[in-house]
Amino acid sequence: MFGGGKIKIEKALLERAKKCADLAGYSSVDEFITHLIEKELSKLEGGGGGDEEIKERLKGLGYI
Amino acid sequence: MPQILKRKIPSLKVLAALAAAAILLPSVAHAYIGPGAGFAFLTSFLVLFATFFLAFIFFLTWPIRFAIKKIKHRGKGIKSDVDRVIVVGFDGLDPDILEDLMSKQKLPNIAGLIERGSFKRMRSTCPPISPVAWSSFSTGVNPGKHNIFDFLAPERETYLSKLSSADIRPPTRWLPLGKYRLPLNKPSYRPLRKSKPFWTVLSENEIFSSVIRVPITFPPDEFGGVLLSSLCVPDLRGTQGSFSYFTTDEVAIGNFTGGFAYGLKSRNGAFEGEITGPENIMVKGSPALKLAFKIVPDEDGKTAGLTIGKETVRLEPGTHSPWVTLEFSPGLGIKVRGICRFILKSLKPHVELYATPINIDPEKPAMPISHPFYYSVYLSKLIGPYATLGLAEDTWALNERIIDESQFLEQAFLINEERERMLFNELDKVKKGAVVCVFDITDRVQHMLWRYIDPEHPANRDMETELHKNAIEELYQKADDIVGRVLSYVGDRTVLVVMSDHGFKSFRRGVNLNSWLKKEGYLFLESGDEGGEWFEGVDWTRTKAYALGLGGVFINVKGRESKGIVDPADVPNLVMELKDLLNGLEDDKTGETAIKTAYDAKEVYSGPYVVEGPDLIIGYNAGHRASWDGVTGKVTGEVFTDNTRAWSGDHCIDPECVPAVLISNRKITADNPSIQDVAPSILRLFGVGVPPYMDGKAVIE
Repeated sequence: MFGGGKIKIEKALLERAKKCADLAGYSSVDEFITHLIEKELSKLEGGGGGDEEIKERLKGLGYI
Repeated sequence: MPQILKRKIPSLKVLAALAAAAILLPSVAHAYIGPGAGFAFLTSFLVLFATFFLAFIFFLTWPIRFAIKKIKHRGKGIKSDVDRVIVVGFDGLDPDILEDLMSKQKLPNIAGLIERGSFKRMRSTCPPISPVAWSSFSTGVNPGKHNIFDFLAPERETYLSKLSSADIRPPTRWLPLGKYRLPLNKPSYRPLRKSKPFWTVLSENEIFSSVIRVPITFPPDEFGGVLLSSLCVPDLRGTQGSFSYFTTDEVAIGNFTGGFAYGLKSRNGAFEGEITGPENIMVKGSPALKLAFKIVPDEDGKTAGLTIGKETVRLEPGTHSPWVTLEFSPGLGIKVRGICRFILKSLKPHVELYATPINIDPEKPAMPISHPFYYSVYLSKLIGPYATLGLAEDTWALNERIIDESQFLEQAFLINEERERMLFNELDKVKKGAVVCVFDITDRVQHMLWRYIDPEHPANRDMETELHKNAIEELYQKADDIVGRVLSYVGDRTVLVVMSDHGFKSFRRGVNLNSWLKKEGYLFLESGDEGGEWFEGVDWTRTKAYALGLGGVFINVKGRESKGIVDPADVPNLVMELKDLLNGLEDDKTGETAIKTAYDAKEVYSGPYVVEGPDLIIGYNAGHRASWDGVTGKVTGEVFTDNTRAWSGDHCIDPECVPAVLISNRKITADNPSIQDVAPSILRLFGVGVPPYMDGKAVIE
């Protein structure tokens, strides 16, 4: 979203990642690597806000 | 230290801070306010300057970019007999109602289009819910590959629900400056819909797309085209749409699910109030920003003038005002702009005023709602202010009887007029490429006025049932009118697709699955027979499964949920056990089948995000849906209850009960197409290869 940084990754590792991304059904290797980073970060950082904040964000959603 | 020097040090600090502020002004422009949603507010100066500057650079560099792209993409040899694909989406357009009205010759344009082309009932997603279905439309993949399984997604740590579509985080570094604090970095907006929409694939092949209000496009995708975001764009307060209700009647100031009530003060024949905006987290304690307004009744005792800031609007009784700009001032010269409409409900015996949720002003957007970001500005210059909120039609205000059906319809059609102007502007301008526009009105009006076509609906009790009996028919005629106008843009080299994401059925009875899980011994409360919202009072140390969202059941898995107790090895058996119990579940009061099919998610989904989704998906039978309290995680003593709300129609049920619609001026080759087939079809029509990760097949020739 709105630009992004670059990271260096060993070429052989990137090739393996590409194969895995295709097999798993990702649309690209970038999506695969982003997903891996997101999963790890969610373990380390937790969610994006306090309980009240989370509830507040849903206020007004017609379906609930 | 000499006294004089001591006194000078603070002023040096202030000077240094001011200098830093000057350097950091662009960051200030992205400061964060709002209750958790996070707002980058862009000052008027920044927006105007950036818009014109970027437009200028875009124009200036076009020949260079064109040459680079030509070199980069030479040899791709895309050949196609199609110049333009137009997709007109009507959210929730139902094939049964469509066929019925066509048989009565009430939809001549759609009927004519079908006669020359094709019409098929289209399989929606499981569950057939707009965010899920439109994500499969745009990406051509099943939910296991795009990661949107519901409106809500579970927070495994807290058992709370969060919006499934976007992750918004505030700036993380701040600089204190007097009573303010300045952000040193920008807030983060990340889409949670994964995979790749077809318009991105088209842009990689040098084909332009104009994408207007397709659900789950917030935050907006970056690609070679223009896009206006839709579903899940928040209001300026960071919620999914909170109305304000002002009154001099203190008794009426209660708690509302979808909004807030405030008092009005009488002074010298006028009535004064304050409209509450976003929180200002640049200030300690994050107080809400407020804007004072004054209502001055006219001599006729029916109309009034409403003054906010420098603007005064005339309020006619019972009808919407034009959009009114609200400019909040968090400090340091920054302005945060929103827009809303008002309805003067009454002047006597009490003054009552309704205000729509405060939409982000598209002319000066407080957060990215379009791509490029100046596209929303361009549209506002072209057609004036317009609704930007994801679910823009205020369904809660009607549920809670702050507005009535006529006012709801007026609001929905006002928003629809804006959408029509956007679509026809794009059709005038985009001669080559894809033009995609989704109209929400078909979904919202069917949700809110279904009871008028269902005489047995519990929501009709003690309610007027005649006034809007034809509203749904007129709605489909409106859709037909739009299709008729679009047809004038369709030549030999244009493909038109008219589609929906799901159909519609009555929502008479609610099913509280959490109450059912408790009754069957899969969910436990710490004490008593009733819990609170969002699983308050649930004893997780004994609970094996819980229901969350509109169709999902989750196993409380050890190592996945923070207080999980079910061994991962036991999950398949437990899923099977629940599936067997839930399949064909009967409503204990009516004897009707409440659940048609319970689906094992592992059998329905495939892809890298399956683990993020539910373990079971509940396919409710027509007439039933997840109950209002069950969706928000409240355990009650009753499993089945009447739905008495104005929100009387729904589609969050078994996908087989609510197929979608697929119509084209070209031949649809599949007998039973899926919504996943639309993206590959569009790619192939343009001569672009269908990526192997897509699950859908090209079905339009």
